[in-house]
Amino acid sequence: MTFPDEVLMAYADDELDARTRAAVEAAMASDPEIAHRIAQHKALRGRVHSAFNKVLGEPVPARILTVVRGEPAGPRKDNVVPLRRRPARQWTWPQWTAIAASLIVGVIGGRLSLVRSRGTVPIALRGGQVMAAGALAAALSDRLAADQPADDPVRIGVSFRSKSGEYCRTFTVRQPAALGGLACHAADGWQVGVLARAESAGVEPGAYRQAASPMPPAVIAAVSGQIAGEPLDAQAEAAARGRHWQP
Amino acid sequence: MGSSGEELRDRIIELLPRLRRFARALARNAQDADDLVQITAERALARAEQLRPDHSVASWLFGILRNAWIDEGRSRRRRESLLEPQDIAERVGDPAAGTDPELLCLQDALARLPEEQRLAVALVLVEGFSYKEAAAIMSVPVGTLTSRLARGREALQSMLSETSGVPS
Repeated sequence: MTFPDEVLMAYADDELDARTRAAVEAAMASDPEIAHRIAQHKALRGRVHSAFNKVLGEPVPARILTVVRGEPAGPRKDNVVPLRRRPARQWTWPQWTAIAASLIVGVIGGRLSLVRSRGTVPIALRGGQVMAAGALAAALSDRLAADQPADDPVRIGVSFRSKSGEYCRTFTVRQPAALGGLACHAADGWQVGVLARAESAGVEPGAYRQAASPMPPAVIAAVSGQIAGEPLDAQAEAAARGRHWQP
Repeated sequence: MGSSGEELRDRIIELLPRLRRFARALARNAQDADDLVQITAERALARAEQLRPDHSVASWLFGILRNAWIDEGRSRRRRESLLEPQDIAERVGDPAAGTDPELLCLQDALARLPEEQRLAVALVLVEGFSYKEAAAIMSVPVGTLTSRLARGREALQSMLSETSGVPS
């Protein structure tokens, strides 16, 4: 007796009526191939199910609970910066697409919140690109790594020439969250290619050298992927600034 | 919203872990998956009057999530293709997505299935719905569901057996 594979699959899923089930079981007993096929169906089912089961143990994000409970989106009580969680779905997918295309790493929700909170975080959306704005743009254009105000929330890290020729600089921002990023000079300003949350205590106000700042691994990875040669030394950095970062 | 509204909220909260699991089988990225769950909750609460007393709340919610996912399909496809080469970097920066290699492996495999097969597999294998329930959620006859499920499973099996795990 042979069965179409869909019947064996339905057997593995416990979807057969009693009579068909009995017929399949009789066939299984005499035909190892049928038994093997059913075992495969069951193994796949078990594997998929147990892998996804892990999601059940994860805490449900607060933003979803807030929606279901109908609570107004007030200030957060926990000390998690609202970086990875959009307070509500405010961006449409096409906008998302445009932004996603220009950025590399995670914290997408955070990026969008940041972009939206005008004035607080110095980045802005222009023509589908995320660009440095305000104090960040000014620091990227004007500041030398060796000459920075000690307690400024924006701190410039390393500067380098990318493989495609433009000047790029890493930076950290302390407020409203500890972030690290990479911006490259473009015709109309500094394009932020990577922005990721810095782990742990954030950037210490007195941190002077770039090595002391908790630069997110994603930024470091992006630098190693894009850098051509070595980072600029102080002299080369000053010279690049003198040319207004034109290659 | 009256007491029935409160009941619905409680029921949704109970089902959130399962809705998140289902969404994770449809969308690889945990953020996207949670967006789908959030949209589902918003839509369910806005359309509470459409829930008939004889209707299973679970099936209704999973149906809303499925529709939300289909609605986003076009822009999602565009975005996924844009993000494709950046997956690794994205995961480096996202501990929530990168902790479980087995889950990532299955998510990657599921993501390569056509949408309708992915849905069938997610509803039956991930969520454990019966064929009848899954067919109702997808608004298709049971025969259509089973053939999509069979094809999805076969594709999944051949993808996964390349990397071991399931006997072939």
